[in-house]
Amino acid sequence: MNLTSYLALAAILFCIGLYGVITKRNAVMVLFSIELMLNAVNINLVAFAKYGMVPNISGQVFTLFTIAIAAAEAAVGIAILLALYRNKGTAEADKYNSMKG
Amino acid sequence: MQITTLVLMVLLPTLLGFLIILLGREGLSKKATCLIGVITTGITLIGSLILFGKSFILSEVLPKWNFTWIELNQKPIQFGFELQPLNVLMLIIVSTVSFLVHLYSYGYMKGDERFSVFYSYLALFTFSMLGLVISPNLLQIYIFWELVGVCSFLLVGFWYFKTEAKRAAKKAFIVTRIGDIGFFIAISLVFKEIGSFELKDLQIAIEQGSISSGMITLIAILLFVGAIGKSGQFPLHTWLPDAMEGPTPVSALIHAATMVAAGVFLVANTFWLFEAAPIALDVVAYVGGFTAIFAATIGIAQTDIKRILAYSTVSQLGYMMLALGSVGYIAGVFHLMTHAFFKALLFLAAGAVMIIFHHEQDIRKMGGLWKKNRVLTGLFLVGCLAITGIPPFSGFFSKDEILLAVYQDGRIGLLIVAIIAAFFTAFYMFRLFFTVFTGNTKQKGELGKVPRAMTFPMIVLALLSIVAGLVEVPTNSLSSWLMKGLAKPITTHESSIFIPVIAVLVSLLGMGLAYLIYGSKRISAKRITGTIPWLHQLLVRKYYIDELYRYLVIIPLKGIGWLLQIFDRVIIGGLVRLGGGIMQILGRMGTALQNGQAQTYALISVFGFVILIVSLLAGRILK
Amino acid sequence: MNISGELIAFFILSVSAIGGAVFMMNLTRVMHMALALAFTFFSIAGVFILLDAPFLAVTQILIYTGAVSILMIFGIMLTKHKDEENPPSFDIKKLWSLIGVGAFFAVVLWIIYQSPFFTSEETVTDFSVKMLGKSIFQQYMIPFEVTSILLLVALIGAAVLAKREEKRK
Repeated sequence: MNLTSYLALAAILFCIGLYGVITKRNAVMVLFSIELMLNAVNINLVAFAKYGMVPNISGQVFTLFTIAIAAAEAAVGIAILLALYRNKGTAEADKYNSMKG
Repeated sequence: MQITTLVLMVLLPTLLGFLIILLGREGLSKKATCLIGVITTGITLIGSLILFGKSFILSEVLPKWNFTWIELNQKPIQFGFELQPLNVLMLIIVSTVSFLVHLYSYGYMKGDERFSVFYSYLALFTFSMLGLVISPNLLQIYIFWELVGVCSFLLVGFWYFKTEAKRAAKKAFIVTRIGDIGFFIAISLVFKEIGSFELKDLQIAIEQGSISSGMITLIAILLFVGAIGKSGQFPLHTWLPDAMEGPTPVSALIHAATMVAAGVFLVANTFWLFEAAPIALDVVAYVGGFTAIFAATIGIAQTDIKRILAYSTVSQLGYMMLALGSVGYIAGVFHLMTHAFFKALLFLAAGAVMIIFHHEQDIRKMGGLWKKNRVLTGLFLVGCLAITGIPPFSGFFSKDEILLAVYQDGRIGLLIVAIIAAFFTAFYMFRLFFTVFTGNTKQKGELGKVPRAMTFPMIVLALLSIVAGLVEVPTNSLSSWLMKGLAKPITTHESSIFIPVIAVLVSLLGMGLAYLIYGSKRISAKRITGTIPWLHQLLVRKYYIDELYRYLVIIPLKGIGWLLQIFDRVIIGGLVRLGGGIMQILGRMGTALQNGQAQTYALISVFGFVILIVSLLAGRILK
Repeated sequence: MNISGELIAFFILSVSAIGGAVFMMNLTRVMHMALALAFTFFSIAGVFILLDAPFLAVTQILIYTGAVSILMIFGIMLTKHKDEENPPSFDIKKLWSLIGVGAFFAVVLWIIYQSPFFTSEETVTDFSVKMLGKSIFQQYMIPFEVTSILLLVALIGAAVLAKREEKRK
């Protein structure tokens, strides 16, 4: 097994997540997709920790931090979503267009 | 006093006057404006007189003075002044006439709303003309040459609310521009050949023979083209009669005495150049001779008092060119001087006549002025006699010199032409005189009065017209003085008795004929025109030159202009609109992207990121 | 390539991870999507085990498959959904997204396969939980504490944000 396979897996997952972020109309789905992207990054970190030029436990430590932050992000994201939902009356991302100039 | 100070005393007052009148045109009263104009030109006149005294009476050789303006490839381009006798003479002429015209205008322009503007233009013109006549190099001449052209444009179009005046101003500007292009090419050629604009350097180069004779001829002819434009010689004469739409003082100052003489001055000032190019001299002589008789014949049939004088001016300028072309340097310059005085007098008198007849210009509607205003009649008569060349008026001497020069040069054909032109000159001048001053008054009602401010300048000019001949005859002092300015002396003409006699006889004949037709009315003018109507029509329509230009030049040019306009509208404009349209479409697309949805922005970021990565990679791969 | 146990395991795990992700994209009911995502997270935990990171795998299951998924499900339940996404219609934006993401994927994949990764097979590193603990509590002490503060802030922030706003007078 080599590094490239893991990286390719991560890339595939990342791109699926990216596609979801861009196209999904449901805001909850957008949050899901973001989590998926973060996980893809975690795979990369761990893969480099084992198969990198200098195998090092630091990659795993970073992944731990990422997981912690992703959890925080998910909590805050859901909270924002709920607030938005209360204000706008919808959870569809394409209805949130108050940024329009 | 230092020469430099004197020259500044000549040049600066008019410029200052221009600035003061221009800046103070709200506050200054008409009297104050006029006073400033008269005082500044008066100082100029005094300065010129002192210079003249130094040069003419004390026979001092006045130094030239230069400073380097800029350097081009180590070739200095200089500014300065030169005070050869010719320059000093021109200074005197310009400042005298300008001074008198400033005075005269107070009476003539009294009722005009833009009085101060008129005076500021006059002052600017005087400054430019003075600068022109003392320039030591071609570039400086050219700068002032264009400046006087601008002033002429402004003053001809002074009454811009009249359509004719507007058109005449444009015509004057554009037609002279044709000549100026020739002048400009000549200057460029000189710079290319000798790397300097200085007349002195050019003279030395010609003496050393470092310029090929073909090039000398080319330069001389191109310079003469400039002179043709400015001095209203055939075929660029058409602007000068039209320029009479300007106020009469302007006609007297610019279009009779000074600016139109600039062309003659230019040829005289570069006379050594023309001497080195015999073909150019021939051109000058033939163009001058042809213009002299050509304009004189047109003058016969005109009915507008100022136009008659304008054609007379063209004709007399032709005389001067003829003289210069026949190596009659002295004769040409001498006639330039006398003509400045008597033609200015005639124009000012014509202005007075027009005031009396309430701005009527058609001589057929005038008459009987002799009974009303003896002084004016006398003054006008002096002018007429002077231009006709009756002794002892100044015109006689200068015209005699010209005829003599032509005779000595051996071009008998041109001599005959000149004499016939003299006949026509006498005829049309006295036709004018008899029609306006004798007979019965045709205009009803009260006639206008001539203010004193207008009479005085005319009297001075009349005196000058009478006595100006004395500077040359019998003492030859003018010619010996002018000779000093020349590098090599020109052979003086031996006087010969029969030429002046013939000239005077011919002039008297012209006068007599005019008297018979218009004075005593023994011969009916109508019957003469009745027998040869086509000739009369030809003369009235000025040989159809204007029409010819219209069909040969103006309409084709307008056609080209129209085509170019279409090109501009459709192709250039289309390209511009296309560019604008593309940008607009891009802008619309940009607006569409800004729809406020974070997901669209994310998509654009992805695209941007991909483009960034691809371009970075492409840079690395290509390396 | 030799067929080893690791390869088979990797193959199964990646297929299930990708499959879960794809299902998540294509399922119509939101709750099903959440379950598909949980499945993907679970598969990724398996990948972590393959990569000698058992602690991370457990954490992944605990936090993602457990906490985050449940949080998401709460989010879904608290908001009203037209349960079915609009029937998959041909949308110009989707096409552009596909092109953009596809290009991105192609570029990344191309880079991955072009880059020469040197893997030092010889050195055997200790990836035990003990080492991980040492590393976190010695080398990464400060970031660890900062992360705990961040979590606290997120907790309070989420509570504040999600709280129903009282009408101001």
